[in-house]
Amino acid sequence: MNSDVAPDPDLGPGAEETGTRAPDPHDGADVVRRRWPRVLGALLTVALLATGGALYAEGRQLRDTSATANRALTDAEATTRVTGDVSSALSKIFSYGPGATATTRAAAKEVLAGKALQQYAALFGQVERQSADQKLTLTTGVVRAGVTRLTDDSAHLLVFLDQVHERRGRAPTTASAQLTVVAELRDGRWWIVEIGST
Amino acid sequence: MARRRTTTVKTGTRRTTGTRNPLLLVALALVVCAAGAAGWGGWQRYAASHDDAASFAQARDDALAAGEQAVQNMNTLNHKALEQGLDSWEQSTTGDLHRQLVDGRDAFAKQIAEAKTVSTAKVLSGAVTELDQRAGRAGVMVALRVTVTAPKGEPAVKESRLLGTLTRTSGGWKLSALGQAPVGSTGG
Repeated sequence: MNSDVAPDPDLGPGAEETGTRAPDPHDGADVVRRRWPRVLGALLTVALLATGGALYAEGRQLRDTSATANRALTDAEATTRVTGDVSSALSKIFSYGPGATATTRAAAKEVLAGKALQQYAALFGQVERQSADQKLTLTTGVVRAGVTRLTDDSAHLLVFLDQVHERRGRAPTTASAQLTVVAELRDGRWWIVEIGST
Repeated sequence: MARRRTTTVKTGTRRTTGTRNPLLLVALALVVCAAGAAGWGGWQRYAASHDDAASFAQARDDALAAGEQAVQNMNTLNHKALEQGLDSWEQSTTGDLHRQLVDGRDAFAKQIAEAKTVSTAKVLSGAVTELDQRAGRAGVMVALRVTVTAPKGEPAVKESRLLGTLTRTSGGWKLSALGQAPVGSTGG
């Protein structure tokens, strides 16, 4: 700082005095000479700002696409977690033994919410009646589950299920099914909010 | 002390220089900031084009789109446009699956020509279950509705669950394996 200011005192005041009091033939050239760094500086600033802005915008465009908004697989941990949570939930709520439907119904309340809870209640009412009559056991397992769309707090999944029906005194039969599931993250847990047949 | 006082007095008299210097400093700071902004913008741009997550996400979507289209192609066949249909099968596949199709083409074409069936397929939903970008491999699962119409009788509608493996080729993602999701083998 001081070294910048130091050489000035000899030159500075003299130049300043001529500039403020009496215009001098040398003064015009002097002003130009003094101005062009300012103009250059201003141009440089504008050019740099514009470049920065343009590059940033371009970068944003590359990064914020519909593909990157979907975090399925790109966020491996969240993908595994929602797949696991939803798979175990489906296995639980679509498995029951004769006389043990109350347990299943209770389990459903812990993993289902919103529309899914209503859909399930309607479905399960029938099942409960049948199960008591026919001594039916249903075991559901997930064959494969994939995440089609994942954001911070919602997920869409496609799930392939196998359902084994066992009627007392008969050979078990296996049925295959596929479901689309919408899940939401609430209080750190994935809840199934919608179940659809594909 | 005395010396210092004289210097302060000197700068005090050069009031104009005193105001010019802060301006110069501000201007310099502005230029530096602008340079910083340009550098930062450039870094953002560079990082974006080298963003692994973004290219991974794009590869996932490409693989899914190619996979769904290939699975649909493989379940679509009209006995009246047999050659065209089988060509699209071959274009959708690579590797072992492609070889099998080429080898079995004549026999299969004969079968379909005799049965005179028309199959159409609609993808209901699909998801990528695994993606290895470096190896150029992806696993997909697709729920499909296939309608088969024979010359006699009602069209048969069947929903099927398919698991496919895709391999990246110079012509994009292609199916290298395709099969029904196994029934009764829970936990896969």
